[in-house]
Order: sequence, then structure tokens, then C-alpha cells
Amino acid sequence: MANKKVNKKDITGLLKEWGQQFAVFAPSRESGVAAMAEWDGKDTSFLDWYRNTVVPPKASFLPPMEEMFRFQKGKEGYNIAPPPKAERSQLLFDVRPCDARAMAILDMTFEQALEDPYYLSKRKSAILVGLGCTNPCESCFCTSMGVSPAESADVDLMLIDIGDDFLVEEVTAKGKELISKTSGLKEATKEDEAKAKQARKASYDKVTRKLDTGGIKDKLLASFDDEEFWEKVAAKCISCGICTLLCPTCYCFDINDELVKQEGTRFRSWDSCGFPNYTKMPMENPRQEKWRRVRQKVCHKYEFYPMTFNVIACTGCGRCIRLCPVNWDITQVIESVPARTEAKK
Amino acid sequence: MEQKLRQEAKALLEQNKVDWIIGFEPGSLKFTATPLITRDKNDTERLIINPFIVNNLADFLTGIKGRVGIVAKGCDSRSIVSLIQDNKVAREDIVILAVPCLGLIDLAKIERLVDKDRDELDDITREEDKVIIKVDGQKKEFAINQTLFDHCIACELPTPQEYDILLGEPRPPAPELEVSGQNIEKLKETTPGERWEFWQNEFSRCIRCYACRNACPACFCQRCFVEETEPQWVMPVPRWQDNLIFQVVRNIHVAGRCTDCGECERVCPVNIPLRSLTREMYDIVDELFQFKSGMDKEAQPLMTHYEQEEAEDLFR
Repeated sequence: MANKKVNKKDITGLLKEWGQQFAVFAPSRESGVAAMAEWDGKDTSFLDWYRNTVVPPKASFLPPMEEMFRFQKGKEGYNIAPPPKAERSQLLFDVRPCDARAMAILDMTFEQALEDPYYLSKRKSAILVGLGCTNPCESCFCTSMGVSPAESADVDLMLIDIGDDFLVEEVTAKGKELISKTSGLKEATKEDEAKAKQARKASYDKVTRKLDTGGIKDKLLASFDDEEFWEKVAAKCISCGICTLLCPTCYCFDINDELVKQEGTRFRSWDSCGFPNYTKMPMENPRQEKWRRVRQKVCHKYEFYPMTFNVIACTGCGRCIRLCPVNWDITQVIESVPARTEAKK
Repeated sequence: MEQKLRQEAKALLEQNKVDWIIGFEPGSLKFTATPLITRDKNDTERLIINPFIVNNLADFLTGIKGRVGIVAKGCDSRSIVSLIQDNKVAREDIVILAVPCLGLIDLAKIERLVDKDRDELDDITREEDKVIIKVDGQKKEFAINQTLFDHCIACELPTPQEYDILLGEPRPPAPELEVSGQNIEKLKETTPGERWEFWQNEFSRCIRCYACRNACPACFCQRCFVEETEPQWVMPVPRWQDNLIFQVVRNIHVAGRCTDCGECERVCPVNIPLRSLTREMYDIVDELFQFKSGMDKEAQPLMTHYEQEEAEDLFR
């Protein structure tokens, strides 16, 4: 299978062509924050961005807020109307490998563990076009989490910067099919492939933050009751939701009804285990103390998810480090988990 | 200043004058500092003071049990005083280690000035009247007021008034309100309709992470009104209308307590210019009541105190 290439100047044309079939989304700062937004038909400045979006592309499939259904009180109970389905499938352009892996991790929960129609209806029809990072950030540690900044098996097509062109790799059958219907692509030469190989390695080597996750599942298991350790780790956390809501693998949501007279809407929206109310129940709250919530967050990613799906639910995107108001750093926390043979009493 | 801080902090713990020290240590990323909250005297070796100690440490006081030695810039000290006024902390439980503050460097402004990501910068150094940025092997100089947070440019109290140990030469206040208030003035020149549209856009991207509230020392409610369910004042979904109500009510709740420390705006991950609301409220409070929060620990808290003679003006 020979890969294709596309000249950087032709990206506008490429996206326009794809736009005839898909709703094309690409990184944008138009809203005031870097996030995936419906492509405006001209802006390709995101190709030069140094860093990834602040809002992860999970928001395309699990939006911060979505309507689940509307309901109306009728004579014989409630009439329920599902939300209108999106007319066109999404094509997400410039998904970074860390975020692509994160969506594969989300699939385990929303497809394998249970079938979530809201997530899957958007996710299954979407095309992911990856773009390799050329400048990983100081907060990035993807290479420690099994992700390479300019390689991905979790997208349909993968683009790699090889100078004037992007090499276009067909990763999935879906990607291959799209390419077969796309005009204006050239065959990649052996030279291009060599450049891509070099670019992958160069990006990989630029990721300087390292995290040793060896044995972390067992270490966390043994440290579960170490209140002193967790209190120390949690001391500076202010219990906001930044690190969870903006984490590409966090998927918790809350469900709320809004009822006005006889009509209502059921919403689901992002929720965070960092919030005290997350586990609040009528009689008690098992995670009233901050350290229990911080422990939950860490253990969910590095202990519980591996127990259930055999994968750490962190891809090293570094958002939680970079965006944290107090510079609470997951890599420091994971490295400080004590190695023990037995659980501390 | 750092050496003195380390000695004093260590001594406070050694002499059992405090149970905790709250200060700053180097952060894990370039140009960052991170809060250090410790009972271990050896940790005091890591305490630092530099133009990146951005957090308002007073935020941690209400969540901690015991006596605390706290590093305080002017704004932190005002928040501490405000908490004392509200009886949230007791003066005798706190030892204030006062830092005469030179102002804090706003990395977002630096990024805009040099059109580079913070990761691409080699160095940022602060001198008395300028900031020097090393990037791509070149040195670029900028005037202080181009590089500081707006709330620092507006600072009325660089050196804490209320303190126990002063860590350096006091600095006189030199607020430049015209520079610091540019965004707010621009907003005030727009029509109410334009302003409504502006805030609608801004609040459309709020994700309700509550970092603004949680980073705010004045937001000390045990239970925030947004979490009330009976009645439910706002929906907990991030819809712009609910987001706006949340922020407006939060702003009213901290009126007379907000010290314009700028934390709400700094921590917002989606860049909502929250200080445009809080600073305006700060100025309104000053204009209506001649009250600046956190300046005098003996003063009665503005919103929970009532003088008989106020009746004429306020209760009509």
C-alpha cells in the first residue's frame, strides 16, 4: 500500500472537498479558546499551532452539554421526543495522536462496557484525520504512555509534516475509502517515506517529560489506604474541574432535568470526580475529604482502568499539568507513589 | 529575600509557633511556581519568591486546621484580612510572612508580545523597570506594564499592611489604572446590546469547572448556591444563560470581599475575562461605600454589617 501526499497549500482545497460530504471540524481559536470548531472554509492557521487544543476533541462525541430528549406531559403520561440527529457525519481534522488514543480509550467505556447511543451515534460515523505533532510541549509525556507524537493507529488517516507536503497514511479501511474518493493527492515517493520516518523520530525525541509507570497498578493498590500520602498529594489541589473536564479520557457526566410547566428537557453534561457533590448522597458522602477525591482521580486512570480494560486511561497529553491553577502535576504524583510489598495499615 | 523567608519559615516550625507553612516552591514547568503546603521544616529549603508566584495563597486558609505561617503578597494579605473580618480565620492563628511584591508576570501577555508559546522561551528575567525575554538567541526588552497581570498594574498594596514578618523593603503603591482598566473601559463604551452579546459569547464557552470560584479566597461558602437543588437557582449544565447567572451572582456574593487579586480570570481555562466583572464591582463598592476590602482588619465586613444612618440612603 503506497501512501499519498498533499501539498500544504492544498489543504484548503482538500478540506473543501471533504466538506461536501462531511461536517469538517478543525482546531480554532475563534470562540476564545482553542477547540475543535466547524471549519470556516478558509482558516488553516491551526497547521502552524505550537500546541494542541485546550478543549480535547472528545467534546465532539461527548459534548460539555447535550440534550438527551425532550418530554411533554400528556394525558396519558409523558411524551418523549429524542433530539434531532445530526444531518452530516463529522470529519475531525488535526487530531493529535494523544487525543486519538484517548478516544480509543473512551470507546472501551462507551462501546465495550455498555453501548452509549449518544456517544456512538456521533463517534461511529465520524472520520478522524490525525496530524503529527512537530513541537511537543514541555507538559507532554505521551511517549511514556505508549503514544508517539507523530504516529497513530487510532485515526482513519494520519498526516505527517514532511516539509512542503504532508504525507497521508491510510490507517483504516474507512480512511482508505475516503482517500480513494479524494482528488488532488499525489503518490508519496520513497524519499517522502524516509522524511516521514525521520519526522516521526524527531518528534518522538522532542518529548522530554518522562514517566515510569512500571508496576503502578499494584503500587496504587497497596497505597490505597495511605491517608498520609494522599493528603500530602492533595494538599494544594483546589478541587476545580479543569484536569478532569478537559482530560481527553475522562468521561463522567451528570444528568439533569429542566422542567418548565408541562414541558422539559433532559440534559447530560460533563461532571468531575473532583467535585465534592459528585458522590453526595442523601445520608453521606464517601468522598467528602479532598484527598479521597484526588485519590479517586489518580486511581481511576492508573489502577481501575487498567484492571478493567488493561490500559492506563492517560495518554500523556499534559493538559492537566499545563492548565492546572496550582501546577498539580500527575507525573510527579505517579512517581511519588511508594513501592510497597504490603498494604499500609 | 528568599533566604530570609526560608530561615523564618523554618524557625516558625521549629519553635512550634505554627503547624503549617504555606508558600511557593518551583513549579514543574518553565516559569511556574506551585503552592507548597507543609509541616516539614526541611521543605522550607524549597521556598521561593519570584515574579511567577501567581496563586493567592489565602485560598488555602479556610481549608486548613491549625496555626499557619503564610507567605503573602499584598493581594494575598488583603484576602487574609478580609477572611479575618468575616471571622473565617483568627488573626492569632496566622503568621504573615510579608513579601513586598514587584508584580506578577502574565505569561499570556508575554506570549502575545513575542508571538511565541511559553515553551519556546529560553528565559524571562525581571529588572526594576523592565522585563527581558530571551528567545531564539535574542534578548527582547519590554516595559514592566506590558508584561504584568492587569490586576498587578492596578495594585494598591504591593506590600502587606498587616503582617508579622516583613521580608524586604516595602514598596509604595503605584497603580496605573488607565493601563490596567483598558479592557473594562472599552467594554463600557459599548451599548448595552453589544455588551449583552459580548458576555453571551464569553459565557458560551464556560465549562463550569468552577476554578474561578475555587481559586477565590472570598468564595468560602460551604455550599455554593449553584449546588443548591431546592430551590435550584441555576441549572448545573454549562448553558450560557446559566453560566452568566452563576458568575453574576458569584460576583455579587464577593462584593466587598473581592480584593482584585485577579485569580478568577487567571485560572479560567477558557479565557473568560472575569476580572472585567469583578474589578467593576470592586470600583462600584468603592464608589458607593468608600470601602476597599482587606485594607483594615478592624473594619466591619461591608455586606454583613449595618449602620443605622445607612437607612436613609440604602433602604428606600
